[in-house]
Amino acid sequence: MTGLVSIRGLRKSYGANEVLKGIDLDIGAGEFFSLLGPSGCGKTTLLRTIAGFEMPNAGTISIAGVDMAGVPPNRRPTNMVFQSYAIFPHLSVADNVAFGLKKAGIERTLGLVEQMLEQVGLAGLGERAAHALSGGQRQRVALARALILKPKVLLLDEPLSALDKKLREQMQSELRRLQREVGITFVLVTHDQEEALILSDRIAVMFEGEIAQLAAPDALYRQPASRQVAEFIGLMNFVPAEASGDGLTIAGLGRIARPDGLSDGALEVGLRPETLTVLDDGETFAHEAKGRIADRTYYGDMTTYAVALDGATEPVNVAMKNRASRRIHEVGDVVRIGWEPDSLVIF
Amino acid sequence: MRALWAYAIAYLVFLYLPIMLLPLFAFNEGTIIAFPLKGFTTTWFAELGQVEALHAALRNSLFIAVITAAISTLFGLLGARAGQVRFPGRGPVMGLVMLPLVLPEIIVAVALLVVMVQVLGLPLSSWTVIAAHVLICTPFSIAILNGAFQNMDPSLEEAAQDLGETPLSAFVKVTLPLIAPGLLASFLIAFTISLDEFIIAFFLTGNEPTLPVYIWGLLRFPARLPVVMALGTLLVIASILLLTVAEAARRRSARRSGRTDSGGFL
Repeated sequence: MTGLVSIRGLRKSYGANEVLKGIDLDIGAGEFFSLLGPSGCGKTTLLRTIAGFEMPNAGTISIAGVDMAGVPPNRRPTNMVFQSYAIFPHLSVADNVAFGLKKAGIERTLGLVEQMLEQVGLAGLGERAAHALSGGQRQRVALARALILKPKVLLLDEPLSALDKKLREQMQSELRRLQREVGITFVLVTHDQEEALILSDRIAVMFEGEIAQLAAPDALYRQPASRQVAEFIGLMNFVPAEASGDGLTIAGLGRIARPDGLSDGALEVGLRPETLTVLDDGETFAHEAKGRIADRTYYGDMTTYAVALDGATEPVNVAMKNRASRRIHEVGDVVRIGWEPDSLVIF
Repeated sequence: MRALWAYAIAYLVFLYLPIMLLPLFAFNEGTIIAFPLKGFTTTWFAELGQVEALHAALRNSLFIAVITAAISTLFGLLGARAGQVRFPGRGPVMGLVMLPLVLPEIIVAVALLVVMVQVLGLPLSSWTVIAAHVLICTPFSIAILNGAFQNMDPSLEEAAQDLGETPLSAFVKVTLPLIAPGLLASFLIAFTISLDEFIIAFFLTGNEPTLPVYIWGLLRFPARLPVVMALGTLLVIASILLLTVAEAARRRSARRSGRTDSGGFL
């Protein structure tokens, strides 16, 4: 499969420091694609290389079938929303939005700029001075300025990281709406796994210059390819286990039928906290384990427990929705834990 | 606390009292620079308007100062821009460029005199003064423009390129307007430095003295001293005005680029 953006064997070094270690990636037309990873994993360098601000040491990038080698940023069919937004402070909002129009051969009409401003929720603010805008408004100007040029790919470098939590959540849903409306391929760089899960069609998780896993959000969450990915996305309990005979013995949780393709020996399994249930009296599960509540944190909508299972060294975390019918257990209570082998992740 | 105030006031008096004396004697009727003062007069200022040699020196100084300010601001722009880029040997190179800031002017003056006359065989003229003034003004221009560049978000130029501008047109459309106040500040400071620079001008000027050199020449005639005082008064006022405009421009530059003000000359 070759996508709208096709990256092959991309390498980039700064001196002896190899930042991108051979990236292969295809991003489809109209996709909302995220590059997710901790700081220093190379995700921003990858984005800047697609934009043309960094030259790769090896490998190719092609966009819509055209090789981008030697094509400067101003001639690429990409536009970028910078982390600092990079709004031109000496221009009005409308002049910022219209900045690239002439060069792109699009005639500047008041209607076009106004329509774009309306689309990003800035209707009527065209004459406002750019430096008089709030953080969220700058973000919208940066989006409008890039989208008005109808790029094939919109590149977003941590666009929401400077906003406070409320505004960030609001902008997330607006980004998603905007992407559906314009149908342009979005490539988002973020270190916020929740943001990536909410927004993306597909996510590439990057560690140390390599793509560790490339998957849709639900697949990424349910079946992380490695312990490192699992630790980065959401919360997970890691429990020692051992495969022998026709079964798999999991510390504290019991023995289940041996999954296919598992060789003998010690391994680790992962369980998301919300797949475990602290059972009420009379409630039964196909797979149950016994333990004692070691710690409890009450969040209002949720309660999380650390449960020391009989026969396990480390307590497991259990996240429970607070329903009126369900009792909140106390630290020290002896409880039964219900779990499902289907939700087990084997590393 | 009181002692500190006394110290501060003594300090300011020490700094500015001599300058305060300039206008005092400039409006004094007596030809001798001494107390007690005699009557009030504007004769000395009137006399300024009649001395042709003084006008020639003033014209010469203005010519030198304008050309110097223009060239050193251009060099400052190039130097500050180059200083943003990391290249091998950047530290030593920038250090050498900034060195004239602290080099004794007498050394610069003697060295340049030797180079211009003995080595290059150039006749002394306004242009030799301009060359030397550019040397001492460029570090100031670089320092001011460095500040202007550092106040700018480096993403701005990239954003302009991303929106279709070439590196050059991005510089012209985005960077230049944002550092324009810095350019003005650099021009005015270099202009002021060149205008009242004496030692280098004294060594390198040909038979067309600059204003400071002309004033120095006047000091040999005690009767002309009050005229010098009057001239000095005007120069002080002009310098203060120019520096105020330059500082205002620099602050405007800092505000415009949306960053907090980080120091300055005033």
